[in-house]
Amino acid sequence: MKTVSRPFRSFLAGIVLACSPLVLQPAQAKDQFVVDLTNEPSSLDPQKQWNPDSYYVYRNIFDNLLTRDDAGKIVPQIATEWSYRSDTEVTFKIRDDVKFHDGTPLTAKDVAFSINRIINPAFASPQLGQFNKIVSAEATGDHEVTIKTDGAYPVLLAQLVKLSIVPQQVVEAKGDDAFNAAPIGSGPYKFVSWQKGVAVALERNDDYWGEKGVFPTVEFRAVPDAATRVANLQAGTTDLAVGLDTDLAAQLESSANAKTLSVLTERIGYVKLNPNLPPFDDKRVRQAVAEAIDKQTIVDGLLGGVDKPATQMAMPAHFGYVEGIKNYDYNPEDAKKLITEAGAAGKQVGFATAPAFDQRIVQAVAQMLTNAGLKVDIEMTDMATYLKRAQSAPASQAAISFGRWSCACQDVDGVLFPLLHSSSSWASGSSPEIDKLLDEARNTLDEKVRLEAYRKVSTHVAEDVPLVPLYQAAIIYGAAKNLEWQPTANESLFLNRMKWQD
Amino acid sequence: MSAFFLKRALQAFVAVLGVITLIFFLQRLAGDPVLLLVPQNATQADIEAMRTSLGFDRPLAVQYFDYLSGLIMFDFGRSYVQNVPVWTLILSRLPYTLMLAGGALLVAFGVGIPLGVAMAVRRGRPEAKAMMGFVLAGQSMPTFWSAILMIIVFAVWLGWLPPSGARSWSSLIMPSIALGLLSMATFARVARTAVLDELEKDYVRTGHAKGLPMHRIVARHLLRNAAIPVVTVAALEIANLLAGAVIVETVFAWPGLGQLTVQAINARDFMLVQGVVLLGAVTAIVLNLVADLLYSIIDPRIRLEGNA
Repeated sequence: MKTVSRPFRSFLAGIVLACSPLVLQPAQAKDQFVVDLTNEPSSLDPQKQWNPDSYYVYRNIFDNLLTRDDAGKIVPQIATEWSYRSDTEVTFKIRDDVKFHDGTPLTAKDVAFSINRIINPAFASPQLGQFNKIVSAEATGDHEVTIKTDGAYPVLLAQLVKLSIVPQQVVEAKGDDAFNAAPIGSGPYKFVSWQKGVAVALERNDDYWGEKGVFPTVEFRAVPDAATRVANLQAGTTDLAVGLDTDLAAQLESSANAKTLSVLTERIGYVKLNPNLPPFDDKRVRQAVAEAIDKQTIVDGLLGGVDKPATQMAMPAHFGYVEGIKNYDYNPEDAKKLITEAGAAGKQVGFATAPAFDQRIVQAVAQMLTNAGLKVDIEMTDMATYLKRAQSAPASQAAISFGRWSCACQDVDGVLFPLLHSSSSWASGSSPEIDKLLDEARNTLDEKVRLEAYRKVSTHVAEDVPLVPLYQAAIIYGAAKNLEWQPTANESLFLNRMKWQD
Repeated sequence: MSAFFLKRALQAFVAVLGVITLIFFLQRLAGDPVLLLVPQNATQADIEAMRTSLGFDRPLAVQYFDYLSGLIMFDFGRSYVQNVPVWTLILSRLPYTLMLAGGALLVAFGVGIPLGVAMAVRRGRPEAKAMMGFVLAGQSMPTFWSAILMIIVFAVWLGWLPPSGARSWSSLIMPSIALGLLSMATFARVARTAVLDELEKDYVRTGHAKGLPMHRIVARHLLRNAAIPVVTVAALEIANLLAGAVIVETVFAWPGLGQLTVQAINARDFMLVQGVVLLGAVTAIVLNLVADLLYSIIDPRIRLEGNA
């Protein structure tokens, strides 16, 4: 026994040492606000990645040039006013009372630096495509920045809503990696620490120039399982959780500690048809698909009535949404008739989907199409394979595919152009008139001209059915019972717009 | 002894190299992660630029030798998703995996072995049947179910323990039990079988004849002989636990390597997956070596040179 106990003691000591990260953590403060995310941020440098879990966090550390208010309108943030010198040149006046978290003032040089950093191909930002119509940004005064674009670019302001201002001196001195590990911005919350895989801790910026946050400290935690997020809410250990579906949200209805908050986002669920592959080269079959799908039942039955059926590939939150687009009504008998007429009855078609999408909707649509006479095969692959196929040559794309589109810009150009313009890898067909309309709408600043062009495009989509817009997706958050907050369509989680009810 | 170790080291090296090569090429067969990193409306030009900046436009062989030359300098590459060195990410998650494995082992060993011994010694009695039922329950409960059940009962209803996360010691309790239950069942069964075998042997009868109480026979003489199969199973079980208790880590939001690896696989974060696989391969080899050494300590009759 004696020869065994010493190694055993060392084993125990090793375990205790290994557990020290647990012991060294501070006790949870009472006035800490806890947010459960699905994954931890992949990086906190606002220009190094493109995923929601990251911008939920860094959106509070950094200010942007412009922002959207709770109603979705573009309003000033760092920029106070702007004027168009010409179609391709815009001058922004910026605030003079903004300081970064290290005390240095935010100047036009930092704004110009942030823009030039992200459009620099050598920096390899995944967001480059959002800003590559910007040719240059120059500080033309202490508090004035002039941006030049490649031709008239009407979506410029919508894209600038997503551009965070980073401090030039800090980034250049520390380098990208160190800046990513300890970001410094000018926003309402300061970065404190990031325990990889566990949590990101922020504390309130008491010198913030704008609306200060209510919570002294905030923690963003990664909780991958949705049921666990709900359990956290019910137990009161979490104050806000993202990404709940309607089934889980129903559990919170009877909870003493939590409630649900939801809002319609700019994501649109759609079914895309490939007119290069029979039987979808026949317009009658495409029309039949539009008539076979019962959007209202999908929304009410599967999505809990929170989402809304869509009439076009745009929503009221988008610029370019037009009223009065007439879709084919739900008419399953006519759908069956059209398919038989076109000789497509019993034809096998592949329906591409990926695990990230709600499979109940995919199966419901597949069933509705089968009832109309087609033989639908659901082809599920992982996300990367799905994306690759969706952007391959039109002849090798799937016959039908399910998708959910968001450009995070609230402008229809970001939706219709990539899905329909022949230069885009997503497009399945090419139509010179549609190309012309989309180009026209993209290259003019005249809102009336743009709306008219988009009216024509959406009418064409409703009539010719290259895609069937299904529903406007809602996002459901779980929140502590006494949290007062209006979620927004662009899914930004601004901590300083939340407060406790009295 | 040294010839033995040299031979084993060479075998280990070849095994690890084989695993690395296999994982490297298998992952890249399916494509690359670029499409997952860019926004939906990225143009083909943007995608190609991203591909070039991450080095995916180079021929596979070039990428492979680049990776190997990095490995020699202990550079395991960078995560494409998180933009930090793979080694940093793995090191930040490793303590949590070790803690969870340790906790689960404590449950499995601390409950399983005594249970197995007791079941063997008291065979046929009603308490043995009850213990068997308990072991069977532990083996049959799917982890995702037992995990969420524990959260609901102990965290939401009773409020005794935190529902998830890694904030304090108490966060380790439920994940350890959830993960340890299955291993406990395995240890209990193996221990029971081993002890049953030993109970038939002559020295046990001698002990009884000399007037020794049962527990003294078991503790002083029997356990050591029954330990060999238990050590074999333990090596396998530890390797399993360390390889990543993915379900437990996901449900309890425990920031371990299993969770990291699954996310990396889905995101096609090749370098990170390779780093974890490398770690797993080396760990499995080391554990097997340790098990072999333990055999010789427990039973001097087992010689290492030649016949293992």
